[in-house]
Amino acid sequence: MNPSKRLFDVAKVIRSKNAGPLVISFDLLFRNEDDFAMAVASPNLTTQALSSALGRPPGDLVVIHYPAAFAIKISMPRLIVSGSPGDGDVYGSQQHTPLLSLTL
Amino acid sequence: MNCIQRLIKRQPKTLRILAASGQLGYGIPENSFNAGLQRKPDFIGCDMGSIDPGPYYLGAGVMATSDAMTRRDLRLVIRAAREHDIPLIIGTAGTAGASAHLDATIEMVRSIALEEKLSFKLAVIRADIEANTVINALEAGRLKPLGGHLDVTAQDIAQCTHIVAQMGCEPFVAAFENDPDIIIAGRACDTAIFAALPKVIGFDMANVMHMAKIIECTSICCEPGGRDAMLATIDETGFVLESMNPDRSATPLSVAAHSLYEQSDPLTFTEPDGSLDVSHATYTAVDDRRTKVSGATWTPAHKTTIKVEASAPIGFRSVLLCATADPRFIENLRDLLGIVEKTTRGLVAGDYQIFPRLYGLDGISPVSPVEPAYRPREIFILVEVIATSETLGLSVTKTFKQFLLHQGFAGRMSTGGNIAFPFTPPELSTGQAFKFVLYHVMQTDDAAALFPVSIEQM
Repeated sequence: MNPSKRLFDVAKVIRSKNAGPLVISFDLLFRNEDDFAMAVASPNLTTQALSSALGRPPGDLVVIHYPAAFAIKISMPRLIVSGSPGDGDVYGSQQHTPLLSLTL
Repeated sequence: MNCIQRLIKRQPKTLRILAASGQLGYGIPENSFNAGLQRKPDFIGCDMGSIDPGPYYLGAGVMATSDAMTRRDLRLVIRAAREHDIPLIIGTAGTAGASAHLDATIEMVRSIALEEKLSFKLAVIRADIEANTVINALEAGRLKPLGGHLDVTAQDIAQCTHIVAQMGCEPFVAAFENDPDIIIAGRACDTAIFAALPKVIGFDMANVMHMAKIIECTSICCEPGGRDAMLATIDETGFVLESMNPDRSATPLSVAAHSLYEQSDPLTFTEPDGSLDVSHATYTAVDDRRTKVSGATWTPAHKTTIKVEASAPIGFRSVLLCATADPRFIENLRDLLGIVEKTTRGLVAGDYQIFPRLYGLDGISPVSPVEPAYRPREIFILVEVIATSETLGLSVTKTFKQFLLHQGFAGRMSTGGNIAFPFTPPELSTGQAFKFVLYHVMQTDDAAALFPVSIEQM
């Protein structure tokens, strides 16, 4: 395992989307079981590590591993409700960029 | 007897369900829809709305889709359903499913029936809920925000223009008893559109809800994903999924991955009628384009909870659209926007909020933790103003524009003007603005009474 592998290169999909107007959710999808296992084992994808990447306290994050789709789901409450004054992303589909620079 | 009751009486052991659209009104791809019809579906389901497009459409009572495309899609599915004499079920009419949306949709259906010389029995299910019902629930501690934070007071609820509750299967089942051909519902769970008929016929609810959860988005569960019609074939052993576009494949991985879409938890889904657990579901390839699914579990709800949604007006929105390519202006931009806002506030009295968004710097992320390492070549500046009136909002954006154009600063070279306008007027009013006030789960003792059914013969 190469410890400096970038998530951006390993993952098939890195995306964000609202799960209702109060929650933003992130999906990390991997191509196969090996990549998924490597991601699950990575110290940089723990709740603690993800919370610092996303700039939110760990208690705000729910991280779920979903082996059937080789996927990791992360969700957290929105700081601004979708479409309320000051929101810049009504669908929440461009909030994934802090995850692009993570390494595994 | 009309087609819904005929289907229920027939008690088929295998049911073919055609999902025509995940959001009717943006243009249903016709080739794949027609391919689906050739497969002799037992009924057609269409979702017509979503909470995704934000608080405006629910609050304003208007559709997100265009009038012409909405009529086109409605005509396509109504004509097909009547030609094949099969049930058509449409949920969350007119984007948000309040009475304003439902009535506009029904008016379109009436004119289509007239133009196409079609006669059928229509059942309409309303989903509006009285503010007092929700206020009572709030005061009784039976109202909780769903998933995140949204504080609400009785006064906030009273200011909402439309309040809807999201129906599960039961109101559809009640509508079936009126023997309609077509059902158009207000705000509904996407799943209920596809699950209510199989449920009444007696298929296993775990398979039914899992199937409904996937096909309500049509071919999004495929590789590559798309908006083409999707066919589900359900029997006692599970269900098989197939896109009606031959270029899209429902693979075990793509179908399993669909559980992630717009969900905070890919394994469990709470519906008004119960909860679905897909953690032990199996996904097996039938061939390279079809996947068979089974093995989810279903726990019926012992207490009915429904989701309530509402938006309230917050004023009027106007926007200024402009851009800059000047490196010195870009370097000073944040400070200059503060100065121009101060100047504007000194000149234009009234109650308003100003939200400048600097696309190229931080237009998407509300707060950028660090300044980018390099300055972009160009920045698009969108200044959003929320004001108590449209005229006030336009006064603010117009004054802001002029002072931003000519704002002086040390080292300025672009004395001809700091910003470029792609066209004039660069200040636009987008009308009334709304925010979500309710996205809550409400406990209720009598869910059926919230969703009245009416019948209309076309």
